Amino acid sequence: MKMHKTVTPEALLAVDGLCVRYPMPGGWAVPLRDVGFRIAPGEMVGLIGDAGSGKSTLALALLGIVRPPGEIVSGNVTFAGQDLLGLDEDALRALRGRDIGVIVQNPRAALNPMLRVGRQIGNVYRAHNPAGRTEVRQKAVDMLAQVGINDPERRVASYAHELSGGMAQRALIAMALSSAPRLLIADEPTSGLDVTIQAQFLDQMWRNVQETGSAVLLISQDLGVIANYCDRVLVLHEGRIVEDRPARTFFAAPEHPYAQEVLALQREDMANAEADTEGTPLIEIEGLVKHFPLRGTAKVVQAVGGADLTIRRGETLGLVGESGSGKTTVGRCLMRLETLTDGAIRYDGQEIGTMPMAAFRGLRARMQIVLQDPYDSLDPRWTVERILREPLDVHTRLSAAEKRDRIGVLMDMVGLDRALRNRRPRGLGSGALQRINIARALATEPEFVVLDEPTSVLAPAAVTGLIQLLRRLQAELGLSFLFISHDLTTVGHLCHRVAVMYLGQIVELGTVDQVFRAPAHPYAQSLLASHLFPDPENRRVDQPDTRALSGEIPSPVDLPEGCYLATRCPFVMNDCRTTKQTLSPLPDGRQVRCMRVARGEI
Amino acid sequence: MNAAEQETAPVRRAGVDTLFAIGVALVALVVFLAAVGPGIAPSDPTLASGGVNLPPPPLAEWPGLLAGAIFGTLETPVHWFGTDASGFDVFSRVIAAPRTDLTIALAANILSLVLGVFLGLIAGYFRNGATEFMMRLSDVLQSFPVFISAMILVALAGRSTFNIVLALSLLYTPIYIRLTRAEVMAQKTRGFVEAARAIGLTELQIALRHVLPNALTPALIQSSVTIGFAILLTAGLSFVGAGVRPPTPEWGLMISTGANQIILGEWWPSVFPGIAISLTVFGFAILGNALERRYEDA
Repeated sequence: MKMHKTVTPEALLAVDGLCVRYPMPGGWAVPLRDVGFRIAPGEMVGLIGDAGSGKSTLALALLGIVRPPGEIVSGNVTFAGQDLLGLDEDALRALRGRDIGVIVQNPRAALNPMLRVGRQIGNVYRAHNPAGRTEVRQKAVDMLAQVGINDPERRVASYAHELSGGMAQRALIAMALSSAPRLLIADEPTSGLDVTIQAQFLDQMWRNVQETGSAVLLISQDLGVIANYCDRVLVLHEGRIVEDRPARTFFAAPEHPYAQEVLALQREDMANAEADTEGTPLIEIEGLVKHFPLRGTAKVVQAVGGADLTIRRGETLGLVGESGSGKTTVGRCLMRLETLTDGAIRYDGQEIGTMPMAAFRGLRARMQIVLQDPYDSLDPRWTVERILREPLDVHTRLSAAEKRDRIGVLMDMVGLDRALRNRRPRGLGSGALQRINIARALATEPEFVVLDEPTSVLAPAAVTGLIQLLRRLQAELGLSFLFISHDLTTVGHLCHRVAVMYLGQIVELGTVDQVFRAPAHPYAQSLLASHLFPDPENRRVDQPDTRALSGEIPSPVDLPEGCYLATRCPFVMNDCRTTKQTLSPLPDGRQVRCMRVARGEI
Repeated sequence: MNAAEQETAPVRRAGVDTLFAIGVALVALVVFLAAVGPGIAPSDPTLASGGVNLPPPPLAEWPGLLAGAIFGTLETPVHWFGTDASGFDVFSRVIAAPRTDLTIALAANILSLVLGVFLGLIAGYFRNGATEFMMRLSDVLQSFPVFISAMILVALAGRSTFNIVLALSLLYTPIYIRLTRAEVMAQKTRGFVEAARAIGLTELQIALRHVLPNALTPALIQSSVTIGFAILLTAGLSFVGAGVRPPTPEWGLMISTGANQIILGEWWPSVFPGIAISLTVFGFAILGNALERRYEDA
């Protein structure tokens, strides 16, 4: 422990030598070993680190909380000159909520389902400020209005389930900010939210913080969030803060090896942006439609409403869009994990969309899929060796010894230690698990792999490793990928061409360079504008965004008659509301589903 | 991965482990008696010996008698738990009974486990009209009072050990169907099932290789509880005269034949087998409980 480190007078929060440990069979887990940092008033500080690196433990420890049976072994937490760890429970409780606000990960779980939202905000406010009934209600209305919720008079009387995810998240900010805390701790406040809602939320938080002058500790796995909103970056690695520098210098020149690993992709050019337009078509999707029947009614949910796509040999096609856009359904239909409602899929010229399943099964050796959740997609009872042997058992006639050799080669190929052969999935990190999934997909030497959000649950360093792996595999094996993701940053690093989906339709299709640099379709523009690229030189908060869409996404059960975006589009004309839009080519080769763009009006 | 360091002793969950140990000990004792009970019984459990309705020796005499029994100096065998109205040695019958009770319970459990898991897998994995009809049928079976249906079955099919096993399994199968079906339905949406489909396995292969092994645990845990209650039900059937035939040593039968004498103050022919049943059911139940908690923790 460092003794008598001088506390600069302007530090609002000072942490020194903080050590937290948890007992576990055979010893102690020590997520926080020796953590020290400062936060100045009004400062926005980002904290990143791997999953399980102790970020959430740190957030709780700052409030003097440790989940039992853990304990704070040593260290100091000084908040506004007060030693937090020395305070008794009553004094701490008075501090929490009033001087230190908290926003947690899952907005719905954090709201009490039995109490009206206004009441909950009021309770937090009244816990720290003496106030009468009408005054508390007015305060709640004001707070909801302040965080940008429409019709706050009505919303104070809503229950949590009546709010959308984005609104629930805003209600939480309203609650956390109601007492104008001097420090706000936000623990992954946007995980699980769509990019447009994430951007709205963070913008709102940023504006509120500017107004109230609160300092913020923003914990996130998303480098884009950190780069766009934070003044300073802390990196928590192996129980210590290994980087503590202004965001710009951190992103420009990280010093610690772990930080360098995390930022490896950001520090190179988007090398893949050059499209390979020469390849012959491997997969052609024509008019793909997928409806899901709505239980108990004759209505259907239109997940995909007529998608046309071509994937060429050796290319990576990105498929992006928000949740509910149908991008995952396209991938699943392609793999025949869903039956098509209509349309055709050709693989190497052969129709596979309606082929009998028994015949298609043989083709599965040539096309594979990597699923989103790396842990869930591995049988927990099986060893790595057995998992990797299964596709060989199904599709090859190799001898046992040949299979063992092939498994070893596969593990080398994806950068897995061969010593993991006899391990089971439990206890392996998500990065290693996703490599096992990739190795399994590659076992039968396929030509084409669907990657369904393979990076969405990975920590920043593991994402970097996975992208580098996929690029190397593509170069070595000549694979074609369909990369489905909501994370435009990874799409930019991996893909040649990209298709943007909205409500089951492809609205724009072009090279990554075309779509990312100058999106043409109004929805693509808004999606790109909402996405937080990890570039502190080009922060979202420095350039107020005007391309945001208004209103809510229409229900996929009752879709608009004309353009699906008509209700939200800033460029809407009367024609748009009644005219079905078609995907039409632009002079530069990309395709856009918007008649105004096609006519050159936008 | 990051930092399980050998710094000081770990914390053990003492409560659960003690309970688990007691459960294991009781179950082991019953299994042991089922294996060798009739062989080590001091008297033949189905032969009258000495007088009828002899009370157990007073506690004060136990040390002397114990020493005598060990050194073989006694002329007549000691009736530790007394004798019953037929002159059978109660102690010998109590330790000989597990062979009957446990065999029936175990057989019934294995039969219903295999049947229930198989049907539950089908019902959960391939949901259709036929499997839903089967579920409703098993609901009906389950909603019928256990005891009455067992009695009817045994009355209709006759009083043999095999028919008792059959009756019990018919009652317990719906429990296993329901447990397995619920777990199968949870497991079949998992990613590894999807992945297996993408690899090219047939639905049957997926169901047997991936879903079944991962859906088996709740049923196996339930087994422990079921065996305990099957013993209780076996004894109950004997008590009402629908179980095994006398003079087979069987706890329920012993309680039943001794029940009339309790009012005369002759408590020993029925109380000792009653305690034996309680301990056995208790043992299996807490074993099941402890297993379930371990499974949830894991």
